[in-house]
Amino acid sequence: MSDTEHVIAANEGQPVGSPSLTLAGETEELPRRGLARFVPRWFRILWENNKSRAGLIMLAVFVLTAIFAPLITTHDPSASVGLPNEKPSSEHWLGTTQAGEDVYSKLIYGSRVSLTVGFLAGGLVTIISVLIGLTAGYVGGIVDDILSFFINLMMVVPTLPLIITVAAYSPVKGLLPIILILGFTGWAWGARTKRAQVLSLREREFITAAIFAGEPTWRIIVREIMPNMTSLIVAAFIGAAAGAIGAEAGLQFIGVGDLNSNSWGTMLYWANNSGAMLTGQWGWLIAPGLALALLMTALTLINFGIDALSNPHLREE
Amino acid sequence: MTYYLRKIGFFLLTLWAAITLNFFIPRLQGGDAAEAIVQRLVGQGQAVDPAQVEAVRNMLGTPDSSIMEQYFSYLQNVAQGEFGVSYSYFPYTVTHMIADTLPWTIALLGITQVFSFVIGNMIGAWAAWKRNGTFDSWVTTFSNFFGSLPYFWIALLLLYFFAFELRWFPDSGGYSGNTEPGWNWAFIKDAARHAALPAISLMIVGPIGWVMGMRNNMVQVLGDDYTRLAVAKGLSQRRIAFMYGARNAILPNFTAFAISLGSLVGGSILVEQIFNYPGTGRLMFEAIGNRDYPLLQTIFLFITIGVLTANFIADLLYGVLDPRVRRGGGAS
Amino acid sequence: MALLDVRNLSVSYLTKKRPPVRAVHDATFSIEPGEIVGLVGESGSGKSTLGNAVLRLLQPPGAITGGEVWFDGTDITRLSEDQLRRMRWRDLSTVFQSSMNSLNPVITIEEQFKDAIRAHQRMSDRQIRDRTAELLEMVDIDPSFMRFYPHELSGGMKQRVNLAMALALRPKFVLLDEPTTGLDVIVQRSILTRLRGIQQDHGFAVLLISHDLGTVMEVSDRVMVMYAGEIVEEQDTQAMLAAPQHPYTRGLLGSYADPKQTEVEISYIAGRPPDLSKPHQGCIFAPRCVDRIDLCLEEAPGYTMFESGRVACHVASMWLQKPNGEGLPPRRAFASAVFDERHEARAAAAPVLQVEHITRTYTRRRGFSTSTVDAVVDVSFSLERGQVTALVGQSGSGKSTIARMVTGVERPDAGSITMDGTIRVDQLRGKALKDYRSRVQYVFQDPFSALNPAHTIRDILSRPLKNYRGLGRGQLGPEIERMLERVGLSPASQFIDKLPHQLSGGQRQRVVVARALAPNPEIIVADEPISMLDVSIRAEILQLLDELVKGSGISMLYITHDLLSARLLADKILVLHHGRVVEHGDASEVITNPQHEYTQELLNAIPNPFAMEAAAAD
Repeated sequence: MSDTEHVIAANEGQPVGSPSLTLAGETEELPRRGLARFVPRWFRILWENNKSRAGLIMLAVFVLTAIFAPLITTHDPSASVGLPNEKPSSEHWLGTTQAGEDVYSKLIYGSRVSLTVGFLAGGLVTIISVLIGLTAGYVGGIVDDILSFFINLMMVVPTLPLIITVAAYSPVKGLLPIILILGFTGWAWGARTKRAQVLSLREREFITAAIFAGEPTWRIIVREIMPNMTSLIVAAFIGAAAGAIGAEAGLQFIGVGDLNSNSWGTMLYWANNSGAMLTGQWGWLIAPGLALALLMTALTLINFGIDALSNPHLREE
Repeated sequence: MTYYLRKIGFFLLTLWAAITLNFFIPRLQGGDAAEAIVQRLVGQGQAVDPAQVEAVRNMLGTPDSSIMEQYFSYLQNVAQGEFGVSYSYFPYTVTHMIADTLPWTIALLGITQVFSFVIGNMIGAWAAWKRNGTFDSWVTTFSNFFGSLPYFWIALLLLYFFAFELRWFPDSGGYSGNTEPGWNWAFIKDAARHAALPAISLMIVGPIGWVMGMRNNMVQVLGDDYTRLAVAKGLSQRRIAFMYGARNAILPNFTAFAISLGSLVGGSILVEQIFNYPGTGRLMFEAIGNRDYPLLQTIFLFITIGVLTANFIADLLYGVLDPRVRRGGGAS
Repeated sequence: MALLDVRNLSVSYLTKKRPPVRAVHDATFSIEPGEIVGLVGESGSGKSTLGNAVLRLLQPPGAITGGEVWFDGTDITRLSEDQLRRMRWRDLSTVFQSSMNSLNPVITIEEQFKDAIRAHQRMSDRQIRDRTAELLEMVDIDPSFMRFYPHELSGGMKQRVNLAMALALRPKFVLLDEPTTGLDVIVQRSILTRLRGIQQDHGFAVLLISHDLGTVMEVSDRVMVMYAGEIVEEQDTQAMLAAPQHPYTRGLLGSYADPKQTEVEISYIAGRPPDLSKPHQGCIFAPRCVDRIDLCLEEAPGYTMFESGRVACHVASMWLQKPNGEGLPPRRAFASAVFDERHEARAAAAPVLQVEHITRTYTRRRGFSTSTVDAVVDVSFSLERGQVTALVGQSGSGKSTIARMVTGVERPDAGSITMDGTIRVDQLRGKALKDYRSRVQYVFQDPFSALNPAHTIRDILSRPLKNYRGLGRGQLGPEIERMLERVGLSPASQFIDKLPHQLSGGQRQRVVVARALAPNPEIIVADEPISMLDVSIRAEILQLLDELVKGSGISMLYITHDLLSARLLADKILVLHHGRVVEHGDASEVITNPQHEYTQELLNAIPNPFAMEAAAAD
């Protein structure tokens, strides 16, 4: 509560705080043995949760696929290596595109595109939302009013139409503008949650204590507030990455992205436009979407574990 | 009272902001926007239709007018409902084109969104009520997987299997060529058949967001003190579930409903394109492909205003549902 | 036949990842119709868990792991939820802690009553409204409030509503779990008085659960004392006051005192409650007990019955068998906190802080209307070197606002605050403010929130040392250890690398004090430093504060709502009411001889079991 509300509430006879009574033993840290000491707490909690563990493993598979793509693909994904619109065969496991490219190789390389866009755009969104949320929450006052207005504005403006419109006007095509556009349009929800978190942290007495200990503002924000927000920021990053991956695929699918990329969305664009349904090329039609779905599922599963981190009611106990 | 005033103020302010945003998007590329667009069209090797240039100039102003002049003439146009002529559907005005397609989108969106909200929240509430039971586990796993599936991919699959392979539903369009548009039964039945697949694809993924949100809200509310006291009072399970549980848990979802409209509109653009459904989403898609900027701009504007209005109405309704914001008093 | 008969009840918290926590162990007691029985315990005693278990309101991961609860001849632990529901509220009802959200926020007060009544009785709307009005009047609330929503009522009013609702169906038994904790002391008193009157009229049985011994003893016929999940003593109230048997009960009683006496002394119990997830041998209180003998560590004591009650203690049992104590070592007392009287020095002391006519008003804009609150009005006082001045008042009295103005966090709208005769605190900014902070430090109220959970003790204490005393890397370690020893955290090496959640509340508060001492300040502003600690350990921290003043000549502004600690620690007391000073003077003078009506009201509102003893002795 702000100081004013504190006093007004008190004057109306409301109780101010109550004794905090903890259950003995509840707050004890579990002993850490061996390697466990070097693993950050949030990772351990994620690993312990069944759902997020599955997600972490799936994500690892995708990352490894992307890194070792040249080793596991059979052809150059952008080269025309076969007859167009072929069905899956031993030569081309998932068939070929309308330009004769090997679908399987494109699929594997597509993981690079999705992961890159996901993590870069997700990272950009997270950074912006942290900056805005943190400033709005900590500084308060008129700055908060202005920033909150922008946050609310960006939340109600429909994102995909906005992204589409901006992308349509963009003179440059390719991954970079997509990453930038996604980054600058997707931060609103994250900013709002971080702002709420900062507002509640600010009420904690250790912040005032830091002021009394002579700490400058920047140090308070970096050393006192942010370490208490790590879980939230990590969860937001993963959610943002998942969102960016989906949005990029959607953009490519509509055709406002880079039509020459290996992105799974672009693959679906061409599959749709080249009548893959008519020619019965189920490999080309299903595989990119399935890969997309699995990657996004992996990220959502990881976030499940983080949900449990912040809301004790949902923990598996 | 002040709550309502604040919401009205916010609505007007965001309305103005959205309109202004719409003004600036094409101008983000710097220089003379109209010229840049025209140059790009030329650069793409397309024959540049004079009507196109005309339309673009009308929309974006001539190079010698100042930004402020352009802005005010833009505002004037918006206020008068003058959005120019669509060059790809010349000589129809933009407004005409949108009016033509809007009912289809509203019908599809409206029904699916409401349905998703209702069903999704009910499933979520039930899962929370039977927390950690079999139903809950299934719901959670299902939501997890299907919730991350992209709309458009599911739509593609549905189209492929049910329209192409099985031939249960038509593969495109809003209605067949052999029915007469109008309020007759044959037409409505035909339109419904065409809308079935798009609707189904939206309703598979639609409720999922609500399911998990409501479930988590409700789990929290059921752990709250007043729920515990309600149990101590010996109230019936039904009463507790509805008036104490769901009634409180749905409040945050309510605001989320309005905000989610924005993303559902986005999803429908993709779905309409896949099914060739004659809605505003597909129109937007075509506008992009045809570089019909006046049409594109205005569709964006309409979509934004639509979402803002829906959001505003949801805010007003929220005031009715939650007495804490309505009748003063501070934070709960 | 007893109305409520609890037999060997055990409750544990069972989590998947950690060993189970044994919250309640083998609890047995009974309550007769019309009796008021009190249950007293501190953090981790299991008293609330026991209450919840009796009413079968436990939530996972808590579960009853043994025993039975018999109510009016029926074993309610074996009933199905459906069968139990019919008994709920009609036969046994409850009032939750006052800080909780007991009322559904989206329905009116009237509807909440309607819910409770309709679930068990057929009554028309009209009848329900009449009954509700009747109930509200019974707790001194105007019936027109029934059309309001919960958030429109104050905390005290909400709790009265909860009480009225608990009595709606004329139950035979009411469980009150910390019903007045956190409320204004005067509001507490009025609710308790009301409760006693209603109980006498209607004759229902009560189990009153609280950590506040004074409240419990004033109201109850019989008192049970709980420690670490076990009931260690039970006696009729008067008998327990006159002759507490269990060492823990003695320790608890020793933490209370009547501030109005000429000689006031309180004691504390060293140590902290045991970890209930680990098995233990022998008496559960033995590690902290001053009367401990070898037998206590080997064998858990059973109950010894005597005329006015029972006790689970080997030593007490031995004394009960041999009242003249032959062959037994004398009973020992817990450490007393000793407070130094500094009367002589006071007259000569020079004021280090002079506050003159300060005023602070808050304006709040809600839409188009503004409301103003006069937080502080024309307050003046002085703080002498090496002395303690206490600001006493309830919530909303302005005491915290004054603290913030003295420390420079806020500025008064009028008046001045001067340090050392020259520095105008109310005009400081920038570097001057930072320098001021090295001379005036703050001790916080909530030990759980005053330390950053992500930093070790070393990190926390090194900041002020670096910022104010410019200590370099090598010098930090030894200085931090010295500071920890100074506040009684010994050996320092054991604490220096721990995280806050690994320390107890009392230990954390010592770290907070150590941090405040780091820049060698001249003034410490302590804002309710002990109110969030368990009663039995408060005296320890108070003594620490007293030693600092005595030993280092630090001046202290002590802010509290608790007159007892003010009397013990302070040289001078100011009583605040709605932002104004209504009384001031020597500490003992103000309390033994209050002049202002409000001070008298405050003093009378403090639950005082010893007054009952005195009255009973007459």
